[in-house]
Amino acid sequence: MKTALSNTLVARGLIILLMIVTLLPFIAMFSAALAPQGTYPNGLQWPTDPQWGNFVRAFEVSKMDQLLLSSTLIVLGVVPISVLIATMAGYGLAKLTTNKYKWLYLVFVFGLTLPFEAVITPLYYEVRALGLLNTRFAIILPLIGLYMPFGVYWMRAHFLNVPHDLTEAAQLDGATRWKEFWLVQVPLARPAIMSLTILLFLWTWNQFLLPVVLVQDPMQRTMAGALGAFQGQWGTDIPLLCAGALLILAPTIVLFLMFQRQFVAALMQGAVKG
Amino acid sequence: MAGLTLRSVRKNYGEVPVIKGVDLDIAHGEFVVFVGPSGCGKSTLLRMIAGLEDISDGQIGIGDRVVNDIEPRDRGVAMVFQSYALYPHMSVYDNVGFGLKLAGTPRDIRDRKIREAAKVLQMEHLLDRRPAQLSGGQRQRVAIGRAIVRQPDVFLFDEPLSNLDAALRGDMRMELARLHRDLDATMIYVTHDQVEAMTLADKIVVLDAGIVQQVGSPLDLYNRPANLFVAGFIGAPKMNLVSARVAAVDDSGLTLASDALGAPVVLPGGIAAANGDGVTLGIRPHDLQVESNGPFRGPVQLVERLGNETIIRIALSDGVELTAALPGQGAFAIGSTIALGLRPEAAHIFDASGMRL
Repeated sequence: MKTALSNTLVARGLIILLMIVTLLPFIAMFSAALAPQGTYPNGLQWPTDPQWGNFVRAFEVSKMDQLLLSSTLIVLGVVPISVLIATMAGYGLAKLTTNKYKWLYLVFVFGLTLPFEAVITPLYYEVRALGLLNTRFAIILPLIGLYMPFGVYWMRAHFLNVPHDLTEAAQLDGATRWKEFWLVQVPLARPAIMSLTILLFLWTWNQFLLPVVLVQDPMQRTMAGALGAFQGQWGTDIPLLCAGALLILAPTIVLFLMFQRQFVAALMQGAVKG
Repeated sequence: MAGLTLRSVRKNYGEVPVIKGVDLDIAHGEFVVFVGPSGCGKSTLLRMIAGLEDISDGQIGIGDRVVNDIEPRDRGVAMVFQSYALYPHMSVYDNVGFGLKLAGTPRDIRDRKIREAAKVLQMEHLLDRRPAQLSGGQRQRVAIGRAIVRQPDVFLFDEPLSNLDAALRGDMRMELARLHRDLDATMIYVTHDQVEAMTLADKIVVLDAGIVQQVGSPLDLYNRPANLFVAGFIGAPKMNLVSARVAAVDDSGLTLASDALGAPVVLPGGIAAANGDGVTLGIRPHDLQVESNGPFRGPVQLVERLGNETIIRIALSDGVELTAALPGQGAFAIGSTIALGLRPEAAHIFDASGMRL
């Protein structure tokens, strides 16, 4: 009993320590964001006269409303199409591919090993050749492609676990492959699809590198990408920079709080699916 | 409703043949059971009929159509899977009606058919539930309901009762028999449980290693097994098999002798064997009785008291064990020597190649 109690205490202590380590930078940013304009806040230091107006100013100067719209458009362009294609490809690779073509899956696994950074230069030239530079499509189309290895890998893992009997039962019930996919497989894949949607949303919303390299106009970028421009423009005004950064973070945090359970489920699913 | 014909049906997985030429005729309305040990090819054969496995060679006909190249959904068959294969995200109502929905059956007709099937299977109160909320027996009913609602030509059952406990299995067996009677349907049923085979079938097909060993009515197979495999497979407890040689053949019959036998066994005439032939004598445990001068003598190795009968096992002098199912609750002590005799007309004789004589 004593050992169990001390183990629990140690575990709780470690969790609290981790929480502090995680939250400390945000708290420091928050306190800095409230410091008077033009000052250089000294780490964790609650200002005597908190300048809440910094947030309003940051919202105005960064044109947060436009950035929100831009990010939303990019997410809407990337996530539904990526999830749809990944679901169909995952189903195809898990259920319809004969042994002869199993190697196709390896192509996607190979894609998983490629870091974004490694393809950014060729991507730049490709996007330029397509005449899409400085448009949101320069972010949307490459992201769909770059998410495919993970998306297909994720959905294939799900479909592999769906008992083959269900496919056969649907076939005998009179379903074509297409109907079986839509009426049996997709409803059963809802948890996996939800998880993938959440992960792709997060990655798209937080996408920084692609927007910075491929789109000049900050108003066409994601919020995280626009932070780069914001930083360049207001790099010397630390309180404003911190307020802007916190505002850019806010939608993700709000969404996380709204869909906490699904987020955790998505991450846990990743933990067991492998 | 329709009959079924299989002509030289073969199935190979790569170089490995698993079904080695099956010929079979199943009449409309027959209840046919495919039985055999694990890996004998019975499920593969059923899946070939369903269209879930390609046919390497031969021809399968349902009614007057050759269905080799016809998609499963167009063959007019319905199948009940061992795992039930219910759609977890649908209610019982939707599970049962899924096939009708796909076929574009109008909603009112669909509703009527689903409720009729639910009534037949006594599961009207389950229609709103999801499969996860059902017991094994209830799931089985839903799976059967899904099959009957489509009114197929042929029903296929792939070991449908193997996941149920013994009591429920007995009940479901009776329900299936009733359903067959009521629907007047052609049914093909795969099982490794010979009790199911014996109780349900009009016709049993015994398979081993992808070859049909014998086709016949349950009692045909029990009374006149075509070979040693069928003799050993059908009947519980298993038939006793004792090696012997023909010591004499005359007008009165056949005399068998063996080191295992305490006395020669004299069988009636009409068996095509010659003096000196090596044969196998088969005796069902229920055809043995205690007989002080019986030919089977040895110490009792095992006693199982079932109440209505007692199963004993004795060891013959050459080490062969013999099982007897004796009526009543006889007092047998392990280690004590007893002698058993047989009714000569109940004996089965097989030649050296294992075929019935």
